[in-house]
Amino acid sequence: MGSDKSNLIAAACLAAFGVYVVYGGSRLSYVSEVGPGPGFFPFWIGIGLLLFGAYQMVLSYSSARHHAVAGVPIWSGSGRALGAWLGLAVAIALFRWIGFALGFVLLTIFLVVALDHRPVVLALGIGAGLALVFYIVFEFALGVSLPAGPWGF
Amino acid sequence: MDALSNLLLGFSVALTPINLFWCFVGVVLGTVVGVLPGLGPAATIAMLLPITLKMDHTTAIIALAGIFYGARYGGSTTSILLNMPGESSSVATCLDGYQMARNGRAGAALGISAIASFIAGTVGVLGLMLISPPLARFALRFAPPEYFALMTLGLAMVVFLAGDSMVKALLMLLVGLWIATIGTDLFTAESRFTFGQAKLLGGVDFIAATVGIFAVAEVLINLESRSGGEVLKIPSGVKNLLPTLQDLKDCRFAFLNGSVIGFFVGALPGAGATVASFLSYGLEKAVSRHPEKFGTGVIEGVAAPEGANNADAGGALVPLLTLGIPGGNTTAILLGGLILWGYRPGPLLIQEHPELFWGLVASMYVGNVLLLVLNLPLVPLFAQILRLPNYVLYPFILGISVVGVYSVNNSLFDVWMMALFGLLGYLMRKLDFPAAALILGLVLGDVLERALRQSLMMSQGSLAILVTRPISATLLFIALVLLCLPAIRRVRAWRVEAVEHES
Amino acid sequence: MKRTRYSLLLIMVVIGALVSSRAWSQEFKPNKQIETVVHTGPGGGSDIFARAIAEMLQKEKLVTQRLQVVNKPGGGPAVAMSYLAEKKGETHTVGFYTGVWVTNPLTTVEATVTVKDLTPIVRLVLEPAVIAVKADSPYKNMKDFIEAAKKNPKQLAQSGGTITSRDNLMRLLLQKTTGAQWNFISFPSGGERLAYLLGGHGQMMVIEPQEAGEQIRAGNLRVIASLTEKRLASLPNVPTIKEQGIDVPLIPQARGMLAPPAVPKEVVAYWEGVFDAFVKTPSWKQYVEQNQFEDASLKGSALSKFFDSLTDQMREVLKEAGAKVVR
Repeated sequence: MGSDKSNLIAAACLAAFGVYVVYGGSRLSYVSEVGPGPGFFPFWIGIGLLLFGAYQMVLSYSSARHHAVAGVPIWSGSGRALGAWLGLAVAIALFRWIGFALGFVLLTIFLVVALDHRPVVLALGIGAGLALVFYIVFEFALGVSLPAGPWGF
Repeated sequence: MDALSNLLLGFSVALTPINLFWCFVGVVLGTVVGVLPGLGPAATIAMLLPITLKMDHTTAIIALAGIFYGARYGGSTTSILLNMPGESSSVATCLDGYQMARNGRAGAALGISAIASFIAGTVGVLGLMLISPPLARFALRFAPPEYFALMTLGLAMVVFLAGDSMVKALLMLLVGLWIATIGTDLFTAESRFTFGQAKLLGGVDFIAATVGIFAVAEVLINLESRSGGEVLKIPSGVKNLLPTLQDLKDCRFAFLNGSVIGFFVGALPGAGATVASFLSYGLEKAVSRHPEKFGTGVIEGVAAPEGANNADAGGALVPLLTLGIPGGNTTAILLGGLILWGYRPGPLLIQEHPELFWGLVASMYVGNVLLLVLNLPLVPLFAQILRLPNYVLYPFILGISVVGVYSVNNSLFDVWMMALFGLLGYLMRKLDFPAAALILGLVLGDVLERALRQSLMMSQGSLAILVTRPISATLLFIALVLLCLPAIRRVRAWRVEAVEHES
Repeated sequence: MKRTRYSLLLIMVVIGALVSSRAWSQEFKPNKQIETVVHTGPGGGSDIFARAIAEMLQKEKLVTQRLQVVNKPGGGPAVAMSYLAEKKGETHTVGFYTGVWVTNPLTTVEATVTVKDLTPIVRLVLEPAVIAVKADSPYKNMKDFIEAAKKNPKQLAQSGGTITSRDNLMRLLLQKTTGAQWNFISFPSGGERLAYLLGGHGQMMVIEPQEAGEQIRAGNLRVIASLTEKRLASLPNVPTIKEQGIDVPLIPQARGMLAPPAVPKEVVAYWEGVFDAFVKTPSWKQYVEQNQFEDASLKGSALSKFFDSLTDQMREVLKEAGAKVVR
């Protein structure tokens, strides 16, 4: 999918989001006894999103029509990037249960092995090494308590 | 001159071995805390308060203040090298600083950051020393209409963050403004867009959002290809490790800009260093001969915001020490410290405890020098981080992002927010929606809305209050001019074209 | 044979009784850091209060473990309260509360945790408030201000916190009692509120005496009434609001400590013992005097009753104020 089509979709999403914001803002009081209420700003932000989003949709559409290919293809590497993001999300979800150290090591292994195709041992070393550094700097020296699993770290 | 003799008194206090030692400790600790994202000087100072009870009070304030302004030096390091803001006041530095690093000029960026910080920091101390009382009185004249005008001026800067597409910048600005509305409304205590989550009642954590949009998104972008995107060019040779004379010349106005805006905005309670740095960046771009180059790695784009956040530290001490009014979080905890040690900060503090004030002022001169001397040689050392292979660097960045964001409130929810913003930032990069505009909206949105509603409360609903007051009218006029600038430029360009066409 | 069995049984019963009675009367003693939750960021009122208490407890050697202050700001006290509610049964976690912990759940739907869900331990102080105006203003007492407000309805302004804060609630009660009307402008921080008054944009403030103390000393502010039952020791020449003929209910601002839900009785007993001794110490007495608090220790069932009556009072006041009461 080229950039023009993606921009069109993004603009449409923003315009739709604008509608949501207007709706959300309208459920709050627009005017309060002391001037504009909490719904005032969101209402106008939503209107702005809707209008500019629609305008951007028009721009992207006409740009798509004028180009032979619908813009520059831009999503070729996204599978890897999104995969990495999923890895991060899973790691964050796991922090509560297995603690930061193990979660981070797992994330590192995922990034280094699955995405960069390097040996597991290297990944393990990097993950453990970095985790140790984080613990020394943050938990030990600065007194920040990192998420801990049932085994205390 | 009275100030001179007081200053000599101050130096006699500041230059004692024990005060020098603790000044050094303070600024080093501040730099470290500034480098690390998430953990900020306020929390660090709070943690160290019990230790300070055993010290001489002047020594204690020297050390704690060192942490305060030292952090403003350190914040730029990760901003430049990793696109990860170490402090919220260093977010603006990411815009051009990181691009300079990508262009192989990381050393110059780090160097100019230290130099600008030194110059502006020293100007801030000068200001604190010479014009505190009149400045404090002037700052008191700032009421909500003036704050609104100042924030509008800041928003007008979006014109300069637009890049290619104004529409996209405006859309992102609006999204940023919306994010700023999330949370409990100050005036009516109603909650907005909290999706039923108690954790969103305080709004979205700023550090989580910025670390996500900048650092995490950057990692995701680089992970698209196995080679890890363009490898950051490691600066080689002394020429690239430090700013050149030409660089210093280019930044002449930026030094002035950062110093003045930073110091002045710092003296306004409730404004903040982040606002100061963005205003300074915007102004620099507005007066630049090559504004279109901002965002690609222009050295003034680093010098201006970095100077501003340092001068802001000096400015923030003005209301604290002359009136006993804390302007922000960190000055609030400094106030707490003063109270804990038995002082009663207020208008009489300087008169009754001159050795405290002047000792502090003198130590800040010393501290700024120490920081410059410490930071400049460290530039090549820090730049070596770029030598790390990608498969070490990216886990490192993600790890430190998680830990840093977590350390702000001990909250995994914030880390989730960071991840979400990381995804958002990635999509924005792919589609060329400017992140800077979103951040601008997020930074200014709160104060802007609040100031507008407060102003309307003052005037019983009449917008006229914004233009009948001299200061706010002036600022709004400047904002209007700025907003019209692109149109004026375009008209001029048409005219030139028309003339050429005819001939 | 039978006798040996019986005696064995008897011995076991006796041992069992001894062991279990020891378990019942087992005292609680903290053996690691105590997580101390506050609802403000570092430098905020509760943060400073908690740190001061922690420091004094350590100095007086009443607690052997460190009280580690953890900031959980957000939505007033809502984030801190829901955090504490999640820590059910945790023996090494406590929180410092203020009056807003009682009022916030009444007006905010998402704030599902109330003070009754948590385990109150002790109330330490009541923070008084005074009414302050700029020293060069024409108002010498409440009568002057009220008259001016009546002559220019909705022209005068008071700077304060949110509309559910004590500042505004006092204003609404005063307006109701006197019939005068003036504006209220919310600011998020004490510094900004003070700056608004000092800059001459606002005419009065409801403020804690220790916050105003230095401004008074420097001659910038004048206190025209104290919102207390009796005159304040630090301001003996300032008449109370009731003395000036304005009979308005006073809203107390309480500060104290509580614990997460379902915390064992021994833990509460431990803290009660600590604070019983604490309020007798000279450092505490000095602290109370310096900050112009009212020493108001309360614990146990009296404390529960206090929370109940405060909640009811607040609900009434909020309803009158026109705020949306959800609980």
